[in-house]
Amino acid sequence: MATATLSKNIGRITQIIGSTFDVEFAEDQLPPIYNAVKIVSDHKGIKINLTGEVQQHLGGGRVRCIALGSTDGLIRGQDCVDTGGPVKVPVGKATLGRVFNITGDPVDNRGPVDADEYWPIHREPPVLKDLSTKTELFETGIKVIDLLTPFVRGGKAGLFGGAGLGKTVILTEMIARIASAHGGNSVFAGVGERTREGTDLWLEMQHAKIGQTGRSVIDQTCMVFGQMNEPPGARLRVALSALTMAEYFRDTTGTDTLLFVDNIFRFSQAGSEVSALLGRMPSAVGYQPTLATEMGALQERIASTNKGAITSVQAVYVPADDPTDPAPATAFGQLDAFIYLERSISEKGIYPAIDPLASNSRILDPQYVGERHYNIARRVQVTLQRYRELQDIIAIMGVDELSEDDKLIVLRARRIERFLSQPFLVAEVFTGKAGEITPLAETIRSFEELCDGKWDHLPEDAFMYVGAIEQAEAQWKKSQQK
Amino acid sequence: MPNPKVLDKRRRSIKNIRKITRTMELIARAKFKKAMDRASAATAYTERMTQLVRDLMASGVEVNHPLLDVRDRVEHATLLVLTGNRGFCGGFNGNLQRAGFQNWQQLIGRSPNSRLEVAGKKGVAAFKFRGIPAAATFTQFDDKPRFDDVDAIAGRYLDEYVTGRLDRLDVVYTKFESVSRQHVVTETLLPLSGIATAGKTAPTGGGKASGRRAIYEFVPSPRSILEEIVPASFKVKLFKCFLDSAVSEQIARMIAMKAATENAEDLIRRLSMQYNRARQSRITSELMDVIGGVEALS
Repeated sequence: MATATLSKNIGRITQIIGSTFDVEFAEDQLPPIYNAVKIVSDHKGIKINLTGEVQQHLGGGRVRCIALGSTDGLIRGQDCVDTGGPVKVPVGKATLGRVFNITGDPVDNRGPVDADEYWPIHREPPVLKDLSTKTELFETGIKVIDLLTPFVRGGKAGLFGGAGLGKTVILTEMIARIASAHGGNSVFAGVGERTREGTDLWLEMQHAKIGQTGRSVIDQTCMVFGQMNEPPGARLRVALSALTMAEYFRDTTGTDTLLFVDNIFRFSQAGSEVSALLGRMPSAVGYQPTLATEMGALQERIASTNKGAITSVQAVYVPADDPTDPAPATAFGQLDAFIYLERSISEKGIYPAIDPLASNSRILDPQYVGERHYNIARRVQVTLQRYRELQDIIAIMGVDELSEDDKLIVLRARRIERFLSQPFLVAEVFTGKAGEITPLAETIRSFEELCDGKWDHLPEDAFMYVGAIEQAEAQWKKSQQK
Repeated sequence: MPNPKVLDKRRRSIKNIRKITRTMELIARAKFKKAMDRASAATAYTERMTQLVRDLMASGVEVNHPLLDVRDRVEHATLLVLTGNRGFCGGFNGNLQRAGFQNWQQLIGRSPNSRLEVAGKKGVAAFKFRGIPAAATFTQFDDKPRFDDVDAIAGRYLDEYVTGRLDRLDVVYTKFESVSRQHVVTETLLPLSGIATAGKTAPTGGGKASGRRAIYEFVPSPRSILEEIVPASFKVKLFKCFLDSAVSEQIARMIAMKAATENAEDLIRRLSMQYNRARQSRITSELMDVIGGVEALS
């Protein structure tokens, strides 16, 4: 690679297919796979500044590249320069507070980034012996998450859900909750979602303050966007750019780093778009045959080492509400905490619409969360499970036909179901209720009392959108006075 | 995408439920006819009896039968709750349990020496679940209550009342008014004067006696006739409660099973749609895979 930078290695474009293009180099100067190639030209008034990534060697000196930007205006025969290495992005302190695109160029109109170091976006995952083995609960202050799907510090959590169930809202809420109470740095990767959401988030982060310090969350955060409007190549690699920046913080500063990804499904989707153009045969449901490999390569790098931790929260879109679709199913295996958003719950108006039975966490185990927490969580799940089983009978026969024990279960399950809702900090403008941060101890106590039947006398509505259980009582009293 | 196999299994089990509920509806309908015949036959008799007692009391004869005495201090009260032996009758048992429970709370508040007696397995279980022990339970009454059985219970109440071990008897049951109207009522059967006064406002079939005073001649004497007729009236009245309860239960079951059958049909329709959709989408995606594979190869 060193030779390539000395004498410029220039090739010519021979073919352009959508967002991929072929370049012909001298037979002995083929750029290796994953090398970035650059096309800079000003041909007939069309300015082009495009970076591509080598994906395949076709033989005869030709390589096939995916474009990381728009291929509009590209013509055959144009010069294409091998940069001699993968795409490099700026890392370190200078990136904080900034917004980047896939190639590491700032897009927030605040001038160039004054970074000391540039790291390639393709890197090896940490080796086995460096991986951290600590397991520690990560408190979020959201009742349903803390109780049933506790997050792992330095672990990965996935938010699975179909369209419009509130994945992005929960992710934004996480940023508001965790990042504002968090000392380290955060990295946000916007992968193939709406550009508007990215802007909203950016503004939100400027408003949100870290604890009592008076500094904005954005000062500790860098954001990388490759949204829906970008070609598949950009959406495929933007997660890696963000991850590289997060890795730098982990490996050099040793602080806890947060990585938010919205949305990992778009990564798989972009991969499948590119895959067909690269001439790979599609696999199940039309996905790329390399789906698991690509996902593994990305997820394995999001890991906590002995030097520092990356805690990541990822949104995963579930196409057609079908969790058996290969894309979400592949992401599923990589995660510590698995949160599944359910349409039937969101239809009841209960947000966050987390399915308490389908969601799970690796550390919901007495060994990690303690006997009491585990038992309460299981009791809640058993109650809700029984309620779900009874649903058919209730639908046919009516609730009167149930045995007395089952009636009690139904009564409590309906209260628990509603009590799992919670007002969000970021949804204050919509709900008109101030966001609630419920400490874990309060959460456990509240659900314990609920399961013990201490609050059976309150009507169901009282349990909607409150924090600890006492607020349900207060809400009920308030509604009685009216 | 839901699993078609699971959906089909669920649909089949609901089809079975529908079969059962439809059969139960038909059975209830048949039983209801018989029970209603019995009840309406008893209605005329009961009303005549009640009217007779009322007329007797109104005829100016000095009435001082022990069963008609209203006692000032109610120390030993009894609450009799008539429920069904079997479920699958909608809110029938639930309403009775609720009403019975409320009445019991009031009664025990007023007179702590009260006794609770429950007829019907469902009521027995409900009170047991709430931790209230019943002093006596009867489960021998099904859809055809026999007079002999009621007579035995009524006789015991009469004995207790006369000897002062019982001061008041309330019955909670479902009163049958018409095929479309039944509701849970609490009636005070002892002391009997309660019926006499209550009966005046109640519509009586052919009597119209409240306005006119009937003229009776008593042979051998008013006293001996009262001796006979007052206890008999009480027994008949109690029997009527059981009969009403039985009819109401059948009606409730008929309606509940009809609704259940309809609900099951709705559910089957919805599941069928989900099943067909799941099956079709599975076929489509497999076809797409095959076609895609062929195209990629060629």
